[in-house]
Amino acid sequence: MTTKNATGTKFEGGHEGRPYVSRFSMTTTALQVRALSKTFVQRRMLSRKSIGITALRGVELALQLGCALGLVGESGSGKSTLGRCMALLERPDSGEIWLDGQNLLSLKSSELRRARRSIQIIFQDPARALNPRFSAVELVAEPLEILRWDTYEARRRRALDLMEEVGLSRQWGNRLALEFSGGQRQRLAIARALAVEPRILVLDEALSALDPPLQVQIMNLLVDLQVLHGFSYVLISHDLRLIWRAVDEVAVMHQGTIVERGKVRDVFAAPGHTATQMLLELC
Amino acid sequence: MLRYFTRRLLHGLFLVVGVSLLTFFLLQLAPGDFFAEMRLNPQMTAESVAAVRHQYGLDRSVATRYLLWINSVRKGELGFSFAYDSPVACLLWARARNTLILTLSAMLLSWLIAVPVGLGCGARPGGWSDRLCLGATSSLLAIPDLLLALGLLFLAVRTGWFPTGGMVSPGFDDLSGWGKVKDVVSHFCLPVATLVLGTVPVLVRHVRAGVVEVLASPFIRAARAHGITRRRLLARYALRGAAAPLISLLGLGITTLLSGALLVEVVMSWPGVGPLLWEAVLARDLYVVVGAVMCSTLFLVGGNMVADALLFAVDPRIRTE
Amino acid sequence: MTIRRRIYLALGFLGALHASVLLASFFAPYDPEVQDRELPFAPPTRLHFVDERGRFHLRPFIYACASSSMPVAACVEDLTRAFPLRFFVRESSAVEKANLANQGAELGASESKRRHWRLFGVDQPARIFLLGSDGLGRDQFSRLLHGGQVSLLAGMLAAGLALGFGLVLGAVAGFYGGWVDELIMRSVELFLALPWLYLLFAVRAFLPLHLSAVQSFFLLIAVMGVVGWARPARLVRGVVLSARERDYVAAARGFGASDVYLLRRHVLPQAFGVVMTQAGILIPQFILAEVALSYLGLGVAEPVPSLGNLLAELQQYHVMASYWWMFLPGAALIPVFASYYALANALQERAGVVPT
Repeated sequence: MTTKNATGTKFEGGHEGRPYVSRFSMTTTALQVRALSKTFVQRRMLSRKSIGITALRGVELALQLGCALGLVGESGSGKSTLGRCMALLERPDSGEIWLDGQNLLSLKSSELRRARRSIQIIFQDPARALNPRFSAVELVAEPLEILRWDTYEARRRRALDLMEEVGLSRQWGNRLALEFSGGQRQRLAIARALAVEPRILVLDEALSALDPPLQVQIMNLLVDLQVLHGFSYVLISHDLRLIWRAVDEVAVMHQGTIVERGKVRDVFAAPGHTATQMLLELC
Repeated sequence: MLRYFTRRLLHGLFLVVGVSLLTFFLLQLAPGDFFAEMRLNPQMTAESVAAVRHQYGLDRSVATRYLLWINSVRKGELGFSFAYDSPVACLLWARARNTLILTLSAMLLSWLIAVPVGLGCGARPGGWSDRLCLGATSSLLAIPDLLLALGLLFLAVRTGWFPTGGMVSPGFDDLSGWGKVKDVVSHFCLPVATLVLGTVPVLVRHVRAGVVEVLASPFIRAARAHGITRRRLLARYALRGAAAPLISLLGLGITTLLSGALLVEVVMSWPGVGPLLWEAVLARDLYVVVGAVMCSTLFLVGGNMVADALLFAVDPRIRTE
Repeated sequence: MTIRRRIYLALGFLGALHASVLLASFFAPYDPEVQDRELPFAPPTRLHFVDERGRFHLRPFIYACASSSMPVAACVEDLTRAFPLRFFVRESSAVEKANLANQGAELGASESKRRHWRLFGVDQPARIFLLGSDGLGRDQFSRLLHGGQVSLLAGMLAAGLALGFGLVLGAVAGFYGGWVDELIMRSVELFLALPWLYLLFAVRAFLPLHLSAVQSFFLLIAVMGVVGWARPARLVRGVVLSARERDYVAAARGFGASDVYLLRRHVLPQAFGVVMTQAGILIPQFILAEVALSYLGLGVAEPVPSLGNLLAELQQYHVMASYWWMFLPGAALIPVFASYYALANALQERAGVVPT
């Protein structure tokens, strides 16, 4: 099925590329973001000026169970910041993030630590996201080690199982991270994130550093894993073709707010906001 | 740019004040003081010792003493020396002048020797001259300053070519003007030689490293392709490229102008700041120690600032800060 | 030669040097405090293989110095009796005990300890001064070995202390940031603003001047450790800062890792490399500081030998003029420094820093 969007660009392949339809009711909310705002302030020593960059302005977002959401926007629109806030890596200035009936931003640090497991993030550059001196097994088992889950042997076994799930051979368990290629390292990062059985996975430009054929591979892997494990994921990317293939719904961000949200097919065919139109034009 | 310098100046000032506080209070913790020896003398009664201490203000609180000392600094006296019975500033001034004669000459000589040698070595990395260079510098570096000084002094003692210590010979005042100069020069040959032998290896290595790094960069190869001769290349391009780290080395050299020669001065009995400090430490002459430390700190902080300033002038990349 | 081989070579050499110094009591023919007032400033004993009659002996031998020739430096050998060099001796004899008794009760108490094995020695009353003797007739070779023990150990302990402080403070400053970082960094700048030898002096100045040998040794180490923490702290802080910002640290935090875990597993291992390189630079610096301070009388006190106070005798003109063997303790420092510098250079190269 071919769709033409407003400016005439063709998106090939349509939605048959994504065989999975969420088995959960699309109305059950996994994560709810309310009125999230964040401004980055840069202050210079001994000068009275301070420059503020507003990354998020009162963002509202609901993420359903088992859904796949794409987050797009131009550079500086705040999509990466939103992703990091959702993964609790940045602390927003105001707003709420609701998960399982709890506002994560109001939790005490010990409870927060437990809640963190539910949302994991995969970074863009696997070389920086994995400690190069760790072995593959150590990397994947690290979250289990932090949580002091079971015994050392059990953790190792689970790590090797996860490695197999993401398509890496068990025999590479003792290889150091720096001996793996970029695509393999990204698989390790995914395996690591899955170790704690998260409910939500945020992929911050996680496929952008890979070659197109690898991107497709990893994307397919992601879709398969979602079937198996049932998490929701948020794919942040500037590559609209990827978004087209990888997600059900898309949210468009512009200057710190979400300006448009809907099914990918609908949004790309008939963009409602000028920002979306500009994005599609550049495609 | 003005802001950059004001920032640096304030920073430097903060450091100097901080150091004065640190040294002053550290030294005040010392058990006993200059007059402790006096108390052991059976002829001195406790009252007279106390009176002497009161006269010198040693019975006041630490904070008061610090303020008094600051006042004395403002007056230009830098405190009072018990051993020499004079304001510290006069003592320091004379001694510092002697030290500077030594270190400035040594610095000049070291740079004059090190730059061409470093250039020569760096020009052909891996060649036999370079290997010789590295070997010689490694060997020299492994010999501690103290040993160099003692060794040269031994040479002087055995051969009699140089006077064996001090700055002037007895009967100095009777010499003519030119004779005086010759006398001082003959006395300072050995200390300067020691300092130079100690600094040249380090400098040569830095120059060489800078030259090697610059010569490996693409723009040099382009210049070579344009047909620029090797000599011209070395002199004009390589040196300028290697200038930035050398400039900061120069600034760092300034930092040790007053303090770097301590061992050499003591061994060769050169009347500089080093021996003064040593005696003062042994005698617990408090304000001399504080004064000497403060002076060398001034040089250190000043040297760093000079290095920063020179780097600022030379390297345009820093200016955008 | 590859970097790795250079490191091993340097380490091997250093190991041999340290081993020989650690086994000082075995290698040295005499205890360092043993004096022989009859033989002050004796030149190094000559080993002979051929006796006066022209016969070759496999085992080297020495002649005693005729006592009337002292204190003039030249030792006139008394050819009447040859004293062969004995290996693996166990010393203690009547003359030895008499000497010990002369030096007072302090040493007499541990007399039994003196009966241990030594690599070589000669029968009484001859004395073998491989490197000559000093003003009190003490064997310089023995004193050099024991003094080397003291100096090298002092350098290492002081460097260990400084690096320890530097590691802890630098890690805390880099990891926690904020006012803790500011405070520590300002202190670092203050400490670095003082020329370190002068700072050493100043700190030494405020401590008691006349201490027992053991006390002065530990005091010296403490002083050097306190003075030297600044530069390592700054370097460690840099490493920690960059490690802290890494994505894998953020990811680990995302799994709920505590600060302690992050420091232990991710941040500090990075600092380790820096610490090792700094050790190679600091240890020789501190050995030198000890030698300088002891030479000036502010370090290890008599009668404990240290390479510094062995050299202090050279402060007297007549010693320097006539007795060249008194320089040898200083010469012993040269291979030590050469090895340490080679090691430091190789370590720096391995870490990717261009050594100068």
